[in-house]
Amino acid sequence: MKRAAWQRVLLSAWVRPVLLVALLLIAWDLAIRLFRIPPYLIPSPWSVVQQLVNEWPRLLKESIPTTYATLGGFALSIAFGIPMALMIAYSRTIESFVYPLLVFSQSVPKIAIAPLFVVWFGFGIIPKVIAAFMLGFFPIVVSTVMGFKSVDPDMLDLARSMKASRLATFLRISLPHALPSIFAGLKVSITLAVVGAVVGEFVGSNSGIGYLLQIANGNFDLPLMFAALTVLSAIGVVLFVAVDVIERLMIPWHASQRHDAVVPA
Amino acid sequence: MIKRLTCIAAALVALVVLPAFAQGKEKVVLLLNWYVYSEHAPFFLGKERGYFDQEGIDLDVQEGRGSGVTVQAVAAGTATFGYADVATMIKAASKGAPVTAVGVALQTSPMSAMGFADRNIRKPEDIKGKTVAVTPGDSMSQIWPLFLKKTGLKESDFKTVSGDAQTKLNAVMNNQADLLLGYVMDQAIKLQDATHKDIYPIRFADYGVNMVSSGIIVQKDYLKAHPDVVKRFMRATTRSLEEAAKNPDAAVDAMLKANPKSGVKETALVGMKNTASLYKGPDNPNDRPLRVGAKNMDETLALLVEYGGLEKASAGKATDYYTNDFLP
Repeated sequence: MKRAAWQRVLLSAWVRPVLLVALLLIAWDLAIRLFRIPPYLIPSPWSVVQQLVNEWPRLLKESIPTTYATLGGFALSIAFGIPMALMIAYSRTIESFVYPLLVFSQSVPKIAIAPLFVVWFGFGIIPKVIAAFMLGFFPIVVSTVMGFKSVDPDMLDLARSMKASRLATFLRISLPHALPSIFAGLKVSITLAVVGAVVGEFVGSNSGIGYLLQIANGNFDLPLMFAALTVLSAIGVVLFVAVDVIERLMIPWHASQRHDAVVPA
Repeated sequence: MIKRLTCIAAALVALVVLPAFAQGKEKVVLLLNWYVYSEHAPFFLGKERGYFDQEGIDLDVQEGRGSGVTVQAVAAGTATFGYADVATMIKAASKGAPVTAVGVALQTSPMSAMGFADRNIRKPEDIKGKTVAVTPGDSMSQIWPLFLKKTGLKESDFKTVSGDAQTKLNAVMNNQADLLLGYVMDQAIKLQDATHKDIYPIRFADYGVNMVSSGIIVQKDYLKAHPDVVKRFMRATTRSLEEAAKNPDAAVDAMLKANPKSGVKETALVGMKNTASLYKGPDNPNDRPLRVGAKNMDETLALLVEYGGLEKASAGKATDYYTNDFLP
């Protein structure tokens, strides 16, 4: 059965979220009109769009340092997270020492200690990178550990029986098996890293979206605040999609990437 | 016999009337601009001395998280009264928040650039080549350019670092900045408490920057519906401020009794005295506290239009934002 062209467009993967956003915007606008919510509590979507257009050059300029800090924190999360996860996955001793502490550290609210980062590392980009790292690090470790631990033991036995070297076993069996989990962690991590970078900027910064948010807040410029939040979310989406693309390139064989798996027959 | 009957009758009347009287008391929430510190001591003194009770008001003082939030809460009816920066309130009101000031407590600006006294930064010229910590978007950072203009300084004469309220204090304490923009009775005391070093504030007010600061704000609808409660509340508040100015010691004691974590006696006392010194504006030296001068408010509004990001078109006139009618 062939679907009409407009139906196919309507149901394509790119249009659906746009439709939902449009629907939410309408609901937002309606709610404001219906409940007469004053603009000093919640701005109208239209005024946010206006600020988005008017302040675009500034928003763009301020989003650059935030993106840098996010990417820096993300890179740091990978650089520390994956080796640490490997150690945890392959050594029970290290796991018993490190893992509880890691979980403990994750429960510390970052916003509470972020002011100290400024004291320790000054007003430059470093405290923001570290804040992004603190938030982005944990999901990478957890899902990488899970990925390596859930390798089928029969496969490992098979490799051993065929006298494969440890390196070969790792590269041919463990790593490919763990990659989907690792990427799941990376995707969570990158969105959290954006939040971390802004937390860092909120506390002490001369630039960035967090800085702009503070100014907008001080002036009761809610439309600008929401516009800044929109840009921030857009940064998160773009980075997420980038990780997603890399994932597709690296593990095209995995079930989650095969299109026939998404649409069952 | 008759005597005993009268006694019983009196007791009965008391039993019936007293709770009724207590119930008849108006429950009022005052949302402060920040966590409790010396500036707020008068309210605790007034509560302790029963000034609010005598007006039939059951006062509940709650801590705030910045004037902006306090203004929004009062506008939305979450709190009855707000103790907040009047300039911040004007900005919110010009954007449609239905609030007005019914009394201005600090009529001389407490804003200042302050650093450790041993650094010898005592006049505007000394700021040259130094590092100043500011909070982007707050009231002081917005008036700062005016101070620079009045004192002939340029933005390029010094370095600026920005961060939130805590970061500003940390920056000065850790020598990442030489000065911060703060209130004489707030940040100066906090720095002193943390480091036990003397602080020297360069007051904006001493260089011709006149702007009102904290005041009592109320929702316009509430004001219309309960003018009597507002009058009684303002009467008790006026007495509290007068008494605290006369007797800062007792005010600080009352505050520390209600909120032991809100400060240290000696420095809080300094803060309370500094606060009381700001109760009078430049144009009304003989008025009772909270009664603000028209010229002072006009000037504040003009400054907000010129420097504070207030749009001229929606600014209106000063009398749109305050009234002295509910003061004793």
